[in-house]
Amino acid sequence: MIILETRDLKYTYPDGTVAVQNLNLEIKNGKKVAFVGQNGSGKSTLFLLLNGTLKPSQGEVFFHGVPFKYDSKSLRDIRKSVGIVFQNSDDQIFAPTVYQDVAFGPANLGYSKERVDTCVQQALEYVGLSRLKDKPPHHLSGGQKKRVAIAGIMAMEPEVIILDEPLSNLDPAGADEIMELLNEFNHFGSTIIISTHDVDLAYRWSDYVFLLSNSKIIGQGTPADVFKNTELLKKTGLRQPTTLEIYHEIERRGLASGGNSPKTIPELVNTLKPIDLMWVDVPPRVREGDSLNLGVMYGQYATQSPYEAINATVLHIHADGRAIVELKRKGIKAGGVLIYDTDSYSLPEIKQILKEGEIVFVGAMGKKSKILAEQDGVRLDVSSGVIDKTILMALCGKRCLILTAGGMVDHAFKRIKEYVETSGIEFTVGVVNREEGCQWLEEIKDNPETLKI
Amino acid sequence: MGGKFLSSVFYLTFNFNFQPFICGFSMTNILDDYALMSPLRHRNNWLKLVIVLFGLLAGVSATSPIPPFFIAFCMSFAAIALGKAPMKLYLKLLLAPMGFAIAGVLIIAFFSGSGPELLSFKFLGYPLSIRADGFELASLVLARSISGMCCLYFLALTTPMIELFAVLKASKLPESVIELSMLIYRYIFVFLDMALSIRYAQTVRLGYSSFSRSLRSLGMLGSTLFVRSWEQGDKLFLAMNSRCYDGKMTLFEVKRPVGASELLLTSAYFLLTLALLYLTKNASIV
Repeated sequence: MIILETRDLKYTYPDGTVAVQNLNLEIKNGKKVAFVGQNGSGKSTLFLLLNGTLKPSQGEVFFHGVPFKYDSKSLRDIRKSVGIVFQNSDDQIFAPTVYQDVAFGPANLGYSKERVDTCVQQALEYVGLSRLKDKPPHHLSGGQKKRVAIAGIMAMEPEVIILDEPLSNLDPAGADEIMELLNEFNHFGSTIIISTHDVDLAYRWSDYVFLLSNSKIIGQGTPADVFKNTELLKKTGLRQPTTLEIYHEIERRGLASGGNSPKTIPELVNTLKPIDLMWVDVPPRVREGDSLNLGVMYGQYATQSPYEAINATVLHIHADGRAIVELKRKGIKAGGVLIYDTDSYSLPEIKQILKEGEIVFVGAMGKKSKILAEQDGVRLDVSSGVIDKTILMALCGKRCLILTAGGMVDHAFKRIKEYVETSGIEFTVGVVNREEGCQWLEEIKDNPETLKI
Repeated sequence: MGGKFLSSVFYLTFNFNFQPFICGFSMTNILDDYALMSPLRHRNNWLKLVIVLFGLLAGVSATSPIPPFFIAFCMSFAAIALGKAPMKLYLKLLLAPMGFAIAGVLIIAFFSGSGPELLSFKFLGYPLSIRADGFELASLVLARSISGMCCLYFLALTTPMIELFAVLKASKLPESVIELSMLIYRYIFVFLDMALSIRYAQTVRLGYSSFSRSLRSLGMLGSTLFVRSWEQGDKLFLAMNSRCYDGKMTLFEVKRPVGASELLLTSAYFLLTLALLYLTKNASIV
């Protein structure tokens, strides 16, 4: 379903500068959308048009198929539904304390005092700033200010959240937290629109990309399609995403295959898989096309996990009794990823899992889980880019635990599961403390080698 | 309240000139920040105001220097021991107004009053003497000014500006004044940051290397700041509008009931001061 749409949109500033023109775009509900373009390509103006702050010189904006009206009541409804987070947090945060600033929006919506309070508490807890609610904004770090700005918008419970350059001036850890937060909103159904000139971010994160140049849209589509088109990128003055560039370079040298554009490092690693061929001595009766059981290999012969059961298909038999076989590897002591829902948290349980599950790698996603881990002294190996890094560790036969909560549990589970399905590399993944049970635990029955809890 | 605001601005400018510039500048030098960190911040604002007001009135109406000194001691104790204000900072803060007070008191002591001479000597051939009356008056003036300062510092060090907005609101000031003061408070720090970065940018390019250059640079700083604040106003309006601003900024107060122990301590302090006032009504220290 289309939530926001523009038709033939044009905006000219009073001094005659054309900021956007001929803009036709459709944004689907529940998507993660990125507008990519250089500075001054019209992104910020477009965003102000999408939230009714600016009135177009020509054309119309539609929300759920209904054209924007610019009387004060309709504008109120639009601004409630389409929230905008500015690039510079200092422009957005104007109240003397964090609480007052977050409460500003809900109070303007005419909510009762109690309801405002619940909205604010929820929003602050969500972004992990409950403890700082009485602080003045000038005591906060850049990342914290950004989170306050986001909480101020979230407290109004908008359907669409627009963020202008959400990661500018943030350090990597802060940037990662913001993106995690956005993923979580999206998981609960919000449509997220960001502008950025970071092609890596747009490529990795978004579902749909618009390329803007000189106040026009010059390209749109899934990130894989848009960023494949080098001509288009040249026109916008942008470069290709790093992962894609690396992939193309190693593909050209015949070291990778797979065809699809890898977005994350695990996906990139997965393309590095030329057909695994080997010379072996075969018994005389074996024919071409037969299957051979080569037994269990380890050490340098096992490339994906510590021990591998290897089956081979005979491709060609040479005259001297040696044959070329294609190897099919199956990890025996495979790695895996366990996800622990910190909504029902108990330290002894985690300790038990860490010990008996032979977990060697622990990560935490979301502010709440990180704070919990820090409080209880659970050592974290990774706290940013958690999903990717745990996948990489699991691929190397390690067992990993992710501590997370709420919507992030499903998000992480889905992402890892998808990876297992698309890559064809088996490792187990499951959520530990959920009622549906854990696949990992069930697999113990089939394979005594795997984990016992 | 105005006094507090002024004193904090005074302190800001003071630091602005004499602190070596640190990138991003350390905020801990602003009086308001100590108040923000003080554990007494979370106590009832009205109680604090009443304590301060009582101290000021009692100090002024005392006829002997003893009650004001007692008040000064209690307020300093409250600010340092209960409010966790750093002792060093507190003494430093007292030192500045103390200089003025002592200069005035010396003049009073030497040049006024009658009665028996307590001390006399010749200074450059000119006879100087302190008489009983003059001494009495001088010590009273000193005690009153110290107690007044201690009361105000107690307020300044335990009650940050953001807590006072609720008080302003309850005192029936017009809404727009309160809204403005809230916005101004917030943007003081934004512009301070901006001014410091501009000054830094000017300093690294030798903008303050001579007197005339300093004047020029300062002028540029002022004009840039003015333009920037104008732009910031536009942005502010945009930001408020995009969150459905309808001409009213609601102020959310935090309820802070007065605890039994606070009430007990305050009443004990009040009673003791009143008793002292009564007992020293006709007493003379000489």
